[in-house]
This record gives sequence, structure tokens and C-alpha cells, in this order.
Amino acid sequence: MAQPAGLISLFLLALVLRAQALTPSHHLSSADVTRLKAFLNQPLEDLESAYYTIVGLSKLGVRVSDEKAACQFLKSHHDPTSIDSLFFAAEASQALSDCEIPVSNETRDLLLAVVSEDSSVSQIHHAVGALGSLGLPLASQEVVSALAARITKEDNVLAIIVALQTASRLSQQADLSRILEEIEDLAARLDDLGGVYLQFEEGLEATALFVTAAYGLSDHVGLEPPLKEDQVVQLVNSVFSKKAWSSLAEAFSVASAAAVLSDNRFHIPVIVGTQGPATVSHRQPTLKIQVTNVLSRPLSSASVVVESARSVSSKNVVLKQASFTLREEVFELNFLDSKPASGYYDFAVAVAGDTRFVGSSVELKVKVSTEVGITNVDLSIVDKDQSIGPKSTKVEYPSKAKGSLIADSHQNLALSFQLVDENTGVELTPHQTFVRLHNQKTDQEVVFVAEPDSKNVYRFELDTAERKSEFNSMSGTYALHLIIGDATLENPILWNMADIVLKFPDEDAPSVVQSKNLYVAKPEIQHLFREPEKKPATVVSNAFTALVLAPFLLLIILWYKLGANISNFSITPSALLFHLGHAAMLGLMYVYWTHLNMFQTLKYLAIVGSLTFLAGNRMLAQKAVKRIGSQ
Amino acid sequence: MSNSVLSVISRFLSEYSTSTPSKLKLVDAYLLYILLTGAMQFLYCLLVGTFPFNSFLSGFISCVGCFILAVCLRIQVNPNNKGEFLGISPERAFADFLFAHTVLHLVVINFIG
Repeated sequence: MAQPAGLISLFLLALVLRAQALTPSHHLSSADVTRLKAFLNQPLEDLESAYYTIVGLSKLGVRVSDEKAACQFLKSHHDPTSIDSLFFAAEASQALSDCEIPVSNETRDLLLAVVSEDSSVSQIHHAVGALGSLGLPLASQEVVSALAARITKEDNVLAIIVALQTASRLSQQADLSRILEEIEDLAARLDDLGGVYLQFEEGLEATALFVTAAYGLSDHVGLEPPLKEDQVVQLVNSVFSKKAWSSLAEAFSVASAAAVLSDNRFHIPVIVGTQGPATVSHRQPTLKIQVTNVLSRPLSSASVVVESARSVSSKNVVLKQASFTLREEVFELNFLDSKPASGYYDFAVAVAGDTRFVGSSVELKVKVSTEVGITNVDLSIVDKDQSIGPKSTKVEYPSKAKGSLIADSHQNLALSFQLVDENTGVELTPHQTFVRLHNQKTDQEVVFVAEPDSKNVYRFELDTAERKSEFNSMSGTYALHLIIGDATLENPILWNMADIVLKFPDEDAPSVVQSKNLYVAKPEIQHLFREPEKKPATVVSNAFTALVLAPFLLLIILWYKLGANISNFSITPSALLFHLGHAAMLGLMYVYWTHLNMFQTLKYLAIVGSLTFLAGNRMLAQKAVKRIGSQ
Repeated sequence: MSNSVLSVISRFLSEYSTSTPSKLKLVDAYLLYILLTGAMQFLYCLLVGTFPFNSFLSGFISCVGCFILAVCLRIQVNPNNKGEFLGISPERAFADFLFAHTVLHLVVINFIG
């Protein structure tokens, strides 16, 4: 009943998003699916890993190799007193054919007792799952109210995902709207990475489990999940971007997500890709496209149409609304029927056939390649002053000109040719049109570019005198090669057209041609240490030292003359101590200059200074007393 | 002109030798010594060059600092100025002189390199 509404909304959405439709960039290729199956198929060791193996493989459509042994394993390893153990055993037994776990009344009562507000969401999920798989009845409404109560208490992402999974096991008559609206809340919690990925910060497993739970519940209830087309594609990218899984649980979540995305009632992500490189040529005129789901299984109901094929260079639309024909699960289109010129084309491809398709508008870049042919090749030696008529030689590709042409400094070498598309006769201008002159003896090589003129005729002129520096003025026989290349050419050309003898004027004395070897060790750089500053002559320094110390002598003489004496020196302990301390301080200054740093000096200065201060204070006080007494 | 200058100078010198107490003359001799030392350093710097500059600076500033401190001591110890420095006895002035010198020498030795 919700499907028509879903249909219309999806159609409108597709129309609106056509311009910037996101297409899945990751999916599980056949090799990836094989690897996933191999990874899941681990030998049964404990019940939880057995559950992942058995149920995971069944989601991918594969059965465990030995079902009887697996069933025996489940029966022997399950613990009827543990809810988790019962859940794993019951779910796994459902995936195996003809396997039943015996159930007692105590087990049933235990499971039913778990369904209450006091158990965690995970416990409730395991109990409901076990009850369902064992075929025991349960009261859905009770479960719903218990879940609703638990969600408000455990507000984390994983708990809500588990609640969604639980709800999809309940009866459709129950009112699951409270749980259903959690899908939208969870979708809002997803992190958008660069517009390409959408995932929970809890990781890949949480994102994959969310996808499984959301689509599982939506299918069960019959209401389209509130996820936009771009969001679905981004979720696909996130879940399938990792191709080597770190644990069984992670691989199981990816397998569940892949299974649910390849078969649900609302959204089927579509993977469109070319078979082989997207190149079309006369030998291979058909463009082959494969349309698969995320598990790389071809979609049988699809029909592929190219809406427009536009040339990248000229922006002309070459093809419109052409449909592909389906042949053995591959969609083919003979693009060369529309006679495209060689180059690149932007294809806007649309996949129709099912309203559930997501990511169905794809942009492909297709290359049309062709073969090039060289025509009208004219090689001539032209005299500079044009007094003598040009000697021209016509050469046919791929043969070589007979005899060699001689050009000296008075002449120019001229080359002209045309490049045409072998298949259509259209003139081509490839990316690489080089003329290479190679001296066999000295291994010198000079490469020039030939440029097309307005009529698409390629011309090249070599002025021997002007270009002698490129050749290092080495006269001799040079082999003339023509190199034609382009990404859209199937047959790049290297053509030894002729041998040219070049004669250069005033040849230098035979200088050994240094093969410009860039990889030889360069001369060593000697580091120049900073030159110490020029010091003046020792004589000058000594002279000035004497000059600077001379006034001290003068001072001694003057003091003596003035009658300075130490007759008044009172030999008191404080005076002695003061003078000793003062001398020590001066000595400390010298030691500071030669050995110590500021901190050590301050330390010693503090000690000596305080002693000197105390002694000096005492001494000066005594002196003052003496002075005042004598006044 | 030069006559009057010479007479002023000779007058000054005679006044100086008679009326200045010998203690102050001692300090003046010390001042002359410091001045000459500083002048010699400056002469070296002018003639030979400023390398190493930090040593020149520290030596020169030491002379300048010592000169200033000695001038302060002279002013404070001069009995004619007793009125200006009522709380500061000559002993106190000398103690201040020594303390200031300690700090000056610490800085000078740090900078002399």
C-alpha cells in the first residue's frame, strides 16, 4: 500500500537528482564475494563464530560443507541456561536444513523471562531471536514496550540497531511505529565523509548492521525507509569499501548488508560498469556494459539506455536515446554506427526496469580510437637564398627514402606531411608529432615538434645554421625519425624516414661530446667555515695594554705624593675580615671571568658578600665612632 | 686672551691645593686615573678598531661607571656638603660606593667575554 507513494517519490527524486546523481564507487566484485565466502567459511570452534559462519554463508546463498556435522556441533555446544548461546544455536539451526535444537520448558520460561525492561536490548534481541527460531510463541506487544523503555535508557547507536533487528522478528500486528521512527534518528547520526561515504563513527560493522536492520524492519513493516538515494549510495560506498575484514563479526555484518541490499522491497543499488576498458575502435565496435547488484549478480530486469553521448572536445551530441541490447547478461551497443570522430565522449547512461533501482544514472567516459595514416610526405632541401630550386623527395610510409639527403649551412631541411584517419579520411591532429634526428656515431639526439598549419598540413623546417648549438655543431649522418602518438591512436608510429647528412659551419676542435649524463656525481662543495676576524698585531695590543695600565702607576705615585698611608689601620678582626672578604670578592670576579657562569658567581658572591658586609658594617661603625669622638 | 686663561688656571690650581682637604685630593687622583684609563681605551678603539666590541664596551663602561661612583663618593664625603646629606655619614657613603661597585663589576665581568 505504501509502494505507489514510494514509486512516485523515487521517480521525482530521480528526476531532481539527475544532474548530480551519485553513483556507487565501491561494491563487492565476484572476487570479493568469493573472498568473503572463504573468510566466513572457518572451521567451527565456538558457538558465536559458528553462528557467523553458518548464517553468514546462508545470506550469501551458500551452504556449509558438512551440514550434519554443523548441526551436531550446535547441539553439543549450546548451553540451555545462557540466552546468547541459545540465540546463536537457534539462529544457526534455522539456516541449516533439517536441524532442530531440542527445547525444554525451562528454556522457554527462561527466554520469556528475559523479555522485560530490566534486561539489556542485546539480551531481549537474543531472547526474541531464539524464541522465533525455536518456534516458541511470544507476546510482541510486551517486547515492543520493553524495547521502547530500553532505548530511552541505552541511547547508543549499537543498542538502537539491535532494537531494530528485534522489531523485525515481531508480529506485524504489533505497533512498531515507535521503533520504526528510530531509523530516521539513526540516519541523522551518520557522518558524511566528503560526500562519498556515510558511516557511523562506531565503524564499519555498526554501519553494515544498521543497513541490515533498517531494510529488514522496513521490509517487515512495508514502509519505505527514510533514506534518500544519495544516502543509500553513500552507505553502499562505506560498507563495501573494505575488502579484507578483520573479524568474523565484521564479515558477517558485510554479508548481511550485501544480502539485504541485493534483495529488498525498496532500494536496490545498481552497479554499472564496462566490461574491459571503455574503448571503441573499428576492431571492437561494441561498447559492453554490465549491470549488477552489490553482490555482482547481473540484474535480469534491467534495461540500459544511453541518454546522450557528447563529444568532449566539440561538445556535439552524437547519440541520443539509444538502447543497449542484452546478450548473455552483457549490454551491448555498436557505437561506431553513429560514425563518431576519434576522441573522448561523455555517455549519460540510465538504467531502468525496476523502480527500486538506486544509483541508476551513470556517467561514463568512452574513448573512440582509430588508426592514423601519413600521406603527402614531402622531404626537401631548400636553399636559403632560394637561388637553386628545392630538391624534394616523396617518401611513402613505411618505406625509407633511398640515399641520404645532404644539407649544409646554406640550406634548410623542410618536411611536410598530412595525418588522416584511416577509417574515415578525416584529418587528425594528434598530441605527439615529433621529428627526431639521431646521430648514430655520437648517440646524440635532438627532437623537434612539427606543427600543423591552418589546413592541417604538418610542416617542419630545420635551419642548420640557426640550430647548430642543439647539435653541438657535430656534422655527420643523422637518422630522421617521425614519431606520431596519441591516446586515441591504435597505431602509434615511429618511422625512420631518411638519413640526413648535416654539415655545420666552423666546427670546433673535436670536442668530446659529453653525453649529458645527469647522474654523475657533481663536484664536491667544500664548506667554508667562517673566517675568524682579523686581529691586530700582537705588538699593537701589547702596547695599548701597557698604555691602559700606565695610569695605575700614576695613581700610586699621586697617592704617595699626597701622603696616603695606612697608619690609621686599626687591627680589629672585623677590619681584617672586611679586607679579606673584599679581596675575595675581587678574586671571585676574576674567577667568574675565567671559569664560572652567572649563577655560580651569584651563589659565591652571596656568601662572601654577606660576610664582607657584616664585617665592613662593624668596621665602619667603629671608624664613625672614632671620628665623632675626635671631633 | 691666553693670558687671562692661564692666570685663571694658575689661580684655580693654587686655590685647589690649599683649600681642598687631602681626603678629597686622594679621590681626585683616583678620578684622574679612571679618566686616563678610559681615554686610553677609547684611543685604542679609534685607532685599531672595535673588535671585539663587547670587550671595548664593557671596559669603557666600567671606567665611566667607576668615575661616576667616585664622583658621588666625593660629593657625599665633602664636609662642605654636609648640609645636603644629613642622613648619610662618610662611612655610609663609602659602603654605598663599595656595594655599587660590586654590582658594576659583576655586570662588567659578565659582558667582557
